[in-house]
Amino acid sequence: MIAYNSQRVAYPYFVVALLLFALQVVMGLWLAINYAFTLPQSIVDVFPFATARAFHTNLLVLWMLLGFMGGTYFMVPEESRSELFSTKLAYLQLILLVGTGVTALIGFLFGWTQGRPLLEIPLELDIVVVIGALMFLFNIAMTLIKAKNWTMIQGTLLGGLVMLALLYLFGIPFYRNLSIDWYYWWWVIHLWVEGAWELVTGAIMAWILMQITGVPRQTVEKWLYVEIGLFMFTGIAGTGHHYYWLGAPKYWLWVGGIFSALEPLPIIMMVWDTFRHVKARQSEISNRVVWTFAIGCSIYHLIGAGVWGFIHTLPQINYYTHGSQVTVSHGHLAFFGAYALLNLTVFYYAFPRLKGIDKFSHNLGHWGFWVTGIAMFLLGMAFGVAGVLQSYLERVLGLGFMTAQAQMQFWFKIAIGSGSIFLIGVVIMIYDLLRMKAATQKA
Amino acid sequence: MTSKTAKWIFYLGTLTSAALFLALTWDTHRQIGALTHADQLSDDVAAGKKVFQKYNCNDCHTILGFGGYYAPDLTKVYKRRGEQYIRQIVTQPEVVLAKSFRKMPQQHVSEAEINQLLTFFSWVNGIDNHDWPPQDSPKRKSRAAERLSGNSNLSLGAALFKENNCFSCHKLQGIGGDIGPSLNEVGDRLDWDTIKKHIADPQSIKQDSQMPAYPDLSAEELQAIAEFLVHQKGAAR
Repeated sequence: MIAYNSQRVAYPYFVVALLLFALQVVMGLWLAINYAFTLPQSIVDVFPFATARAFHTNLLVLWMLLGFMGGTYFMVPEESRSELFSTKLAYLQLILLVGTGVTALIGFLFGWTQGRPLLEIPLELDIVVVIGALMFLFNIAMTLIKAKNWTMIQGTLLGGLVMLALLYLFGIPFYRNLSIDWYYWWWVIHLWVEGAWELVTGAIMAWILMQITGVPRQTVEKWLYVEIGLFMFTGIAGTGHHYYWLGAPKYWLWVGGIFSALEPLPIIMMVWDTFRHVKARQSEISNRVVWTFAIGCSIYHLIGAGVWGFIHTLPQINYYTHGSQVTVSHGHLAFFGAYALLNLTVFYYAFPRLKGIDKFSHNLGHWGFWVTGIAMFLLGMAFGVAGVLQSYLERVLGLGFMTAQAQMQFWFKIAIGSGSIFLIGVVIMIYDLLRMKAATQKA
Repeated sequence: MTSKTAKWIFYLGTLTSAALFLALTWDTHRQIGALTHADQLSDDVAAGKKVFQKYNCNDCHTILGFGGYYAPDLTKVYKRRGEQYIRQIVTQPEVVLAKSFRKMPQQHVSEAEINQLLTFFSWVNGIDNHDWPPQDSPKRKSRAAERLSGNSNLSLGAALFKENNCFSCHKLQGIGGDIGPSLNEVGDRLDWDTIKKHIADPQSIKQDSQMPAYPDLSAEELQAIAEFLVHQKGAAR
């Protein structure tokens, strides 16, 4: 039951995103094995940790972006009340981006890399990514221009996407000065996840809540303004929390410390908005899985990004935790809470509609949510304990790096365990989404 | 709250934060040259950075605290380990880390590339980044050694021996690396004045020594290490 035929282009985006998600988790397990056990030199020489990590992080970025793009293609026709400008262009763009992704991964195996974490893909592929992004923005912009049906939600979404594309450009050049290199690296990474992506998330979440709860647009949009206003206010200057120890002036400790201490505020507001909208619902929420995921997303977002971020961005603490497993703990909880769950919310909202299913069994969806949610929490805890151990042993007591790592190995075994449970949860959701059928009996 | 107020919150929030951020970015550009000693950023340093990127070092190691957390931070590696050790581990990771539970890949880095890499690390070592990381901060390091000797029956010399990573090359009572000679009987071979000079400036005693110099150790610290070493003599051969 989709309103516009061209919404269908979202489907292959979602399917590819889901498969890449699974592959990302498998790679993550492999990384944990690298930490917990000793691998023979022969494996390390051929497939070192560095390559596996490049896989893990690039797969993350790719599946999330494909999810956002698919979500945008699904949402824009209904918001603008018109078909997409070109479905052919949308398919072509998907082929281009997936092709680039596959080429990049194969390239990593042979050392074809720019060697900068998360931005490993070489210049040639960067150019293809930019072309793909331009195709996407052109397609969306043309749809909106032709439809002449501007809404605030669309504006936020488009703003976030344009910001996302522009910021990517700062990651492309070769910087001679390492400090300046990392300064602008964060323009991509931080201003993505605590800026552009928050806009995209805010818009998509607001739209889905509006759809499933029937709360009037005016109310949703009004609070969206406040929410993204706070996100931008705290997030932009909050970039400073990455500038403490890279050779930048000392005032960043103040700016970064203060603004990032405020960063939980918009997230708290997002949780509050979600609950309020659900409470004030005008229509019965028939797709209860979406409801679970939406509320779960907002709460997990608050824990992973808000609380964990808050704890370790205070300069006095960050001096000891910076670049340790504490960062890993925060990264996992935040990305899962804020963005993986957002994408899954979108998938669970869009899949039944794309398949023309009205009522379906919610069993597996709920299982998927709870299994991944709990497993990720355990994973975050295991990394967190390892990180505290590392900060204390290596940075406070001054023991050697490897001495500290030896004490942490146990917690990486726990990470393998929770990661495996997480993978089961992911497989349950993928199976559920791909095989989703209309419930034959009353649901 | 009216919609109009909400819009104002958005515009004001975004613009003030962006204005502050851009202004500070401009100022950072003004200052970062001095903080990073950009005048010493030669073509060799830049070439070394390219080598660092070419072999994807940064996805296992952090530098300035950013990157992979799998291997030690490299911000101050030049000072912590010295040229000789870095050269050894990059050319022969399988030998240096033969007994380590974590390995490093053999990437066949050329001699010229290693030299550029060393120039790069030497330049990075000089970046003024507010005394991070704590484990390499001279101030905190000596405090760590004090704590190590204070909390156990370890002599100050033993703590310093451990703190300065001597074990990564030298064996003592069967524990440690194989790059340098075992030090069990060093007291039979050398008197402690020679040991002190050897640690501070190895090449002054043995011209072809591959050991890095430790010019930052104070006379008292050298004395403590030397005393610790000569007392190894005869113990558990």
